[in-house]
Amino acid sequence: MPIDPSIVGRVYPPQIYEVSREKIREFAEAIGDANPAYVDTAAARGYGHADVVAPPTFVMIPVMNGFDLLMKDLGIEFARVVHVDQRFTYSQPLPVGSRVEATTRLDGVRAVAGNDLLKIRTEVRGEDGSDICLSEATLLVRPEDSDGGDASD
Amino acid sequence: MTSSVPDSGLASGAVVAGEEYRLSRADLVRYAGASGDFNPLHWSPRIAAAAGLPGVIAHGTLVLGLVTRLLAGWLGDPARITEVTFRFVRPVVVPDDGVTVTLQARVAEHRPDGRLALTVVASVAGTGCVGRGRAIVRP
Amino acid sequence: MTERVTEQLVVGDVVADHMYWITRENLVRYAGASGDFNPIHWNERVAKSVGLPGVIAHGMLTMALAGRLLTDWLGDPAAVVEYGVRFARPVVVPDDDVGVAVRVAAAVTDVRDDGLVALELTVKVDEQKVLTQARALCRLPADRPSQP
Repeated sequence: MPIDPSIVGRVYPPQIYEVSREKIREFAEAIGDANPAYVDTAAARGYGHADVVAPPTFVMIPVMNGFDLLMKDLGIEFARVVHVDQRFTYSQPLPVGSRVEATTRLDGVRAVAGNDLLKIRTEVRGEDGSDICLSEATLLVRPEDSDGGDASD
Repeated sequence: MTSSVPDSGLASGAVVAGEEYRLSRADLVRYAGASGDFNPLHWSPRIAAAAGLPGVIAHGTLVLGLVTRLLAGWLGDPARITEVTFRFVRPVVVPDDGVTVTLQARVAEHRPDGRLALTVVASVAGTGCVGRGRAIVRP
Repeated sequence: MTERVTEQLVVGDVVADHMYWITRENLVRYAGASGDFNPIHWNERVAKSVGLPGVIAHGMLTMALAGRLLTDWLGDPAAVVEYGVRFARPVVVPDDDVGVAVRVAAAVTDVRDDGLVALELTVKVDEQKVLTQARALCRLPADRPSQP
C-alpha cells in the first residue's frame, strides 16, 4: 500500500546519541581510514580541534537511529529500502564524549512507479542546542509484495 | 524478576534454570560487530565450507554469553555469577534459517562459603551436547 | 596561508585519485560499526530474494570511501563542509577474498572567493558510475599534507 502523504511533516522524538572514542575508532577502522585525527588527540589538536573528530559519514549512526523510528512508525522493513541519495552539511565536528540529539522529520513522500520516495531531514545538535550537522536523505521503499520472501532475517 | 533465589532446598542434581535460545546468522553478524571477532567462520558460508564445516558456526563466546544470560535471568543480579568455565565440545552450526540451542543448569554442589556450584550443559537437537561447563554463583 | 594553497588550485584539477577495495569482510565490519545490519549486505540468499545479483555494499560505505579520498587529501576530516551523493547503482561484492574495486577521483569544480573549494567526485566500478552527483565543499587547511 502506498504511504499516506498526509504524514508528511511528521517529526520524531529526538534521539540521544553519545559519541564515544571507541566507536569512532571502530568506524574509522571499518572504512579503512587511518587518518590520525580520528584516534590521536594530539593530531586532531594540530587541526585546531579540542579532541579527536569523527569521519564525516560517522554522523549517519545517529541519523540512522531516527530512520529506524520512522521505519517502525510506517511499518517498513529495511530490506525493502534503498538509499537513493544522502547529503550532509556540517556546522562543527561531532564532539567526542558528549551527547548529541538527532531529530528526524519526514519532509516528503512521492509515489514513483509503484515505489515510495521518502525525503528525510535530520538535524543533529549538540547538548547546548548548537547545530552540528544537517542530513538530507532520500529513501526508496519498494512495495511489500515485491520481496519474494521474508528478508528481515 | 528474581531478586533473591532460595538458597536452601536446592538438592544436588536439581535443575535451577533451563532455556531454549534461537540463534540466527543475523545474530552472528551482530555479535561479530559487538565483540570485534570477525573470524569469517562465523559469517562466510564459503570459508566455513572450505574449513570442512557444514555451515557458519556460532562464536563460542556467544554461546557462553547465552550461558551467563541464562544464569543472570535466574539470579537477577548478573554480579552473583562469580565464576564460569565452559568447554566447547562441538561447533554450533547455524543454518540459514537458524538453530535452537538448549541450555540447562543443575546444582552440582553446595559450597561451604554459601555459594552454589552449577553444571551447565548446552545442546542442539540432532547434534547432542555442544558444550558443558561449570559456574559458581552466589544465590 | 590558506589563500596560498587555494590559489594553486584551478577548476578541472584532479586533486586525488585512488582505488579502494571492498570485500565481504569489510561489509560485516561496516555493519557492526554502523549498526546497519540489513541482510542484503551479508546474506546472499536474502540479497537474491529481493532481486539483487548478490550481496551489495552499504551505500554509506561507498560514500565513506569516497569521503576518505577527500579527508586523506585534506588532512583535517572536519574541513569537509558539505558532502552529498546519489546512490546510482548497487556495488555488488563478490564472495572471494579480493572483493570489488571502487575507483574514486576528485576534481575541482569551483574555487570560491570565501576560500572554499567545490569538488566533484567520480566513483566508478568497472567504468560505471556507482555514485552520481557526488559533490563536496571543503575548506583547505593550511597544513594540508603535500600532494603525492
